This record gives sequence, structure tokens and C-alpha cells, in this order.
Amino acid sequence: MKLDIAISGIGVVGGFGCGRQALASALRSGKSPRSKASFMTPDGPAELPAYLADTAQLERFVPKRELRRIDHFSRMAMLGSFLALEDGGMLDADRSRLGVVIATGYGATRTTFSFLDSVISGGDALASPTHFSSSVHNAAAAHTSILLKATGPSLTVSQFEMSVPSALLTACLWLEEERVDAVLFGGVDECGELLHYCWQRFIPGTGADQPMCPLDFEHQSAVAGEGAAFLLLTRAAGAAAPYGRICQVQQGNVVGGALELPGDAVLFLGADGHRECGAAYREFSGAASLSAYTPLYGSLPVGPAFDLAVAALSCREDQLFPAPCGGSRSLGTQPEALAGRSICCLKFGTEGDFGLIRVEK
Amino acid sequence: MMRHLPVAVTGLGCLCAAGATLPDCMATLFAGRRQPKAPTLFTTGHAVTYPVFEAPLAEPESAELLRTSRLALVAAAEALADAGWTADALRGRRVGVCLGTTVGSTTSDEGFCRELRAGRHPDLAPMKRILKSNPARSLAREFGFSGPCQTIVNACSSGTDAVGQGAAWIRAGLCDLVLAGGADELGRVTYNGFTSLMITDESPVKPFDKNRRGLNLGEGAGILVLESEALRRERSKAACGFVLGYGSACDAHHLTAPHPEGLGLKRALAEALQCSGLTADELAFVNAHGTGTPDNDRVESRVLSEVLPQVPFLSTKGYTGHTLGAAGGIEAVFTLACLEQGRIPANVGFSEPDPELPATPVREVTAVSGQAALSESLAFGGNNAVLVLGKGES
Repeated sequence: MKLDIAISGIGVVGGFGCGRQALASALRSGKSPRSKASFMTPDGPAELPAYLADTAQLERFVPKRELRRIDHFSRMAMLGSFLALEDGGMLDADRSRLGVVIATGYGATRTTFSFLDSVISGGDALASPTHFSSSVHNAAAAHTSILLKATGPSLTVSQFEMSVPSALLTACLWLEEERVDAVLFGGVDECGELLHYCWQRFIPGTGADQPMCPLDFEHQSAVAGEGAAFLLLTRAAGAAAPYGRICQVQQGNVVGGALELPGDAVLFLGADGHRECGAAYREFSGAASLSAYTPLYGSLPVGPAFDLAVAALSCREDQLFPAPCGGSRSLGTQPEALAGRSICCLKFGTEGDFGLIRVEK
Repeated sequence: MMRHLPVAVTGLGCLCAAGATLPDCMATLFAGRRQPKAPTLFTTGHAVTYPVFEAPLAEPESAELLRTSRLALVAAAEALADAGWTADALRGRRVGVCLGTTVGSTTSDEGFCRELRAGRHPDLAPMKRILKSNPARSLAREFGFSGPCQTIVNACSSGTDAVGQGAAWIRAGLCDLVLAGGADELGRVTYNGFTSLMITDESPVKPFDKNRRGLNLGEGAGILVLESEALRRERSKAACGFVLGYGSACDAHHLTAPHPEGLGLKRALAEALQCSGLTADELAFVNAHGTGTPDNDRVESRVLSEVLPQVPFLSTKGYTGHTLGAAGGIEAVFTLACLEQGRIPANVGFSEPDPELPATPVREVTAVSGQAALSESLAFGGNNAVLVLGKGES
């Protein structure tokens, strides 16, 4: 399906910092600061390296008292949304025909854990209504729509690693069918105690603060990440698209579904240092131009939303940013001209699922 | 806004407290029977027992998949059989899956968390099961489908949204066939959660009644087979219904309460009607959300009396309980089955009109005429979603 959707604004928050400039700086330097995530285990306190997001800048858009009951997950989404609208010059525009589409792999895991905690510690009768209502996956979209007075359609999709391509398909169709004039599209996922504990159990021995090497497909090097990457999408219709155009979104499975990759495209692989998923990407390691930017934002299900933001920035600057991870055939350590090529963000999930997003300047 | 081309529905499947198959469910509805009861799937520590509607899932317990996915698999198998398809016959076709859920997308397990809080390393099996149980992916895996896969988590409008989005995939030419609908299971999280919000009724649910006190939870799955015209022509398959229109809008008002004037619902209704090309006087009936909560039923009644004043309406949640993310799928299936039969069941649980509500539902089995009907859902987050469904060809 041929699409022509303009990316009109970017709003990002993650381990690299907050906003388009912070992401661009991280892309130029190839570095992103890491934190330590602390959590309790039955064996005592533990720590894992992680790329964590700070939402302090949300107070630039929303009074602090209005944020009291809003959790970290929704705050990240709201901050990404406001930044994307600001970047697209739509912060003060009418939002009655603005749609909101959010992708999340795991939802508000901290609040879900807190809700269960209220039941475990206080009994069924003391279950927390606040935690329950904020634990639904669409809470972030709801808070965003309420604060923005966005009265168009609102949709949240949860498809683990395929959440972003799947949700983006919907956002593009809304624009194609003229249901809305613009869509605030984004991916959001958070770190938390339960996730870190499970991470440690599923992948023992990952506590070392080693560099992420996503293009070394044999090596387990994933570091957990959290954040939100939002894009303001509009129908291109021949108008200027400073951040490029989304011209293809494909979701499928390699068993029975053909992956339609243009020959001259630059590949942004969603490989994020998980050895188990590395095999799926190995066949693309010979591509002329490829990179993985996951070392700048970490491993999280909605990683492709960050790759899409990087692709949009590349279109805006008409150059490809250096690959932060090296790799035999990857982009080099210096920026490289985009030179009319399209960018394909490719993500593999479990069991052969794939998602492909193609962006052109 | 574009006028939508109708999308054919060629198969239906449903599993909920009203029955293990769609024919069983319809027999229950038209007999006016319902059997809310104390939960048997889980224990609760509440002083009061809030009745629930459990689905008769005959399939043995599986360690591999969450109950939500297993409910979806049963309903999907019925829908595919009804459409005359086998999984093998669909190999090589572009088949997508678009499902709504709430609990089916959970990423947490109470037993796991209890163990962890107690200072013990829990067995990882529950987390592995969660990671394998994304509802849309579960169907795609089981039937070998390789097209788009989407699990919509829009709270209680998820199933309605999934049918609307699935139809869009067909119209856009992305798929030859889409399994669309919703699935959700009963469990302690939603039971405790809705009880904590004080919107559950300790007696059987009474949608639109003066004495309504809240919802009863239910579970189940409702699945529609949506099919492209090209594929239908290949096999000369008659449609058992059509998706004629879909609209959705956000109240942007409150996290858990609907807008008091139903502004989002009105916009969703207007969009659904506009893209179907139909007017209010062409509608046979409305399958309302009708949860039995004071707020929901007040708002819905007001909007229906204002926008569709002559159109009979009912809630089927008196037979199924509120099945959350499954509700939109189940109710779309019921709506098409009622259009086919030319009648709608009584709004069970309704006996005393509420003077605050300007419109009241049907009290008895009612003959309806017309080629189209609405199914609508309201949800946490202020979501409102409406489907315009058309009568089939058979």
C-alpha cells in the first residue's frame, strides 16, 4: 500500500534527554547517558544499567498540580505529545480533528504493579481505584487527549515488539480516509521494578555495564530503555514535509508474508542487543548501508518509534547520522549524505513477525 | 470524511455466558434467560459477592495461553467455520487479525507478584504465558495467518474499534480477509478494580433501570470474518452482514466518567452514520453499551433520545455481563444476528423507568424492520465507538 504521510513534528524523551535537539546531539556524538535502575529482589537490592527518561520538562506545558495523579508512563507520553505539537507549530491550533494513536508493548507496568501491591498488602477490599484506572493501557492516550482537548478518535495498540508498525498503520489509514486532519502518533514504554526483575531472571548475567552492540548478533548486550517518541503526522498532499514522508508501513510474518524491501534503501535495524532476536536480522547484515540506533535509547518494545524519529531527523538534515555501534557494513563514524535514498526501519518480533516503515525525504 | 464502501461479513462466532456458540447465545437471549452467579474461576475476599457471567469454555486448561486467547480461539474457529473457511484454505491469502481486549494484554500476574513480595523467586511460567498470549498474535499463530496483526487496548470500546479498524484494512486493500472482534477473561484484577471504583452491582445488572447500581463483569469473545469483495466473488459467498460505517471520538473530559452531555458519543454517532451514508430513520435498532452504571446509562439515554429518538434500543449486557474488551465484538455479532432474525431480545434487567432518563429500552422481544442497526461502546479514557452494521444477503 503506497502512503504519503508527512511527518510534521517530533517529540522525544528518553535516556538521551528530552526533545529533538537532545536526540540530535546524541546522534552526533554517538553517546547517550546511562543510569542505574535499582530494584528489590528476594536476594536483596539489585541494580541494572538502563536508559531512563526524565519528564521534568512536562511542567513547561502543564501546571504541576495537574500532574499529581498522573503516573510516569502517562507523563512520558504527554511530554512526547506536547513536544511534537510544539515542534510542528500546532501547540495552539484547534485540536477537534486531531487523532491520538499510541503504541505500547507493556503499558503502565509500574502502576499495574502498584495496583497489585495494593491488593497484596491490603486485601481485595483495599484495592486502589486510582491505580486501577491508571493501569489500563489507554490511560496515557486518555490523559493526553484530556490535556490537549483532542476530541478526535483515540486508539492504543499493544502488540509487544510490533506495537509501533501496527499502530502506525492505523494512524496512516485515519489520515488516508480523512477521518482526521492530523494524528499525534507515538510509542511509549517504561522501565520498572517488575520489568527489571524479570529481565534479570530471563537473561541472567546482564548486570554488567557493557556497551550495546546490536549488530553483533551473537552477543547478548541489551540494556533496558524507557521513553516516548511521538510524531505529528499529516496528509502530505504535495505540501512541504520537513521531516520527510512515510510512504510504506508493512506488518507481517516471514512465514507466508513477503518482506518488501527496496534495494537501495538504508536500513535502520531494530536490533537491540538481544541474542535471541539477532538471528532474524543476520540476513540483512550484508546490506550496503545499515545502522542500529538502539544504543542511544536502549531496548524497549516501542524502539521503532525512536528509529522513526531518527529517520525523520535524517530527512530533515538530509544526512545519515553515524552508527553508534559500529559493525562491519554499517554506516561509518561520520555523517553521510542521504542522497535521495529511502530509509527503512525494520523490526523483528518473536516467531517471525516483522514490521517495516519506509521514510523518504 | 469519506463515504465507506460496505465491507462484507461472512462468518460469526461467539462464546460468552449466554452460550458456547452463537446459536446457543441467541436462543438464550430470546428466551430471556440469564445466569449471573458468584465467581468460580477465582476466589475473592470481599464481604459482598458481586455476581459475574462466566463463559462455558469447554476446552481444557492450557498452561501455554491466557484464558482470553483461548476464548478468542474458540470464537474464531466458529466464525471461520461459519464463513466456510479452513486455515489450510486460507494459506497464501493476506489474512489479518484485529482484536480488542483489556485483560488479554496484561503484563503482570498476581501470583507472580505475590511470590516476589513474599521474598521468593517466582516460577517464570506465568510471565512466559503472558508473553505468548497477545490475543491477535495467538489467533495468527494458531491459524497460520501472516498479515497485519493488531491488539487494540482501548478499554471497553476495544472490540468495536477492532471491527472498525479491521474493516478499514479490507477497504484499503491490505487484506483479503480479517478476523476482527474482541476477547476478554474474568479475573481478580478487573473484579477488584471495578469493585474499588464502586460501580459493580451486588445483584444482577439492570441496564437503564431506575434502580441500577452498576455493572456485573462477564467474559467471552465475539469474532467476525470480514472479507474482501474480490475474495467473496471467487467463491460466490453470500454475506451474513456488512460493516457499513464506523465512527469514534474521545470525550477529552475525564479518565473514567463519560462526558455528561455525551459529546464524544454524539461525534462518534455522527461519523459512523455519515460514512455509512445512512440516516437515523433507516436504522432498525441500537445495541447500546448499557452497562448498568448510573453515569453510562444516563448519558447514553440522553444521547439516544436526542439523536435517534424513534429508534428502539436495548443493552445485551444483562445476558452477558460487561465483557470489557470483548463487548464490542460480542455485541456486533449479536447485532448482525438480530438483523438476520428481524427481532431484538428484551433488555433484561429493566423493569422500572428512571424519570431521569429520557429514553427507555425495549422490555420484550420486539420485531424490527430495516436493513441496518448500530452497536455502540463507551470506555474508560472517554473513548466512544460506533459501528453501523447492515443486514446480510441470505
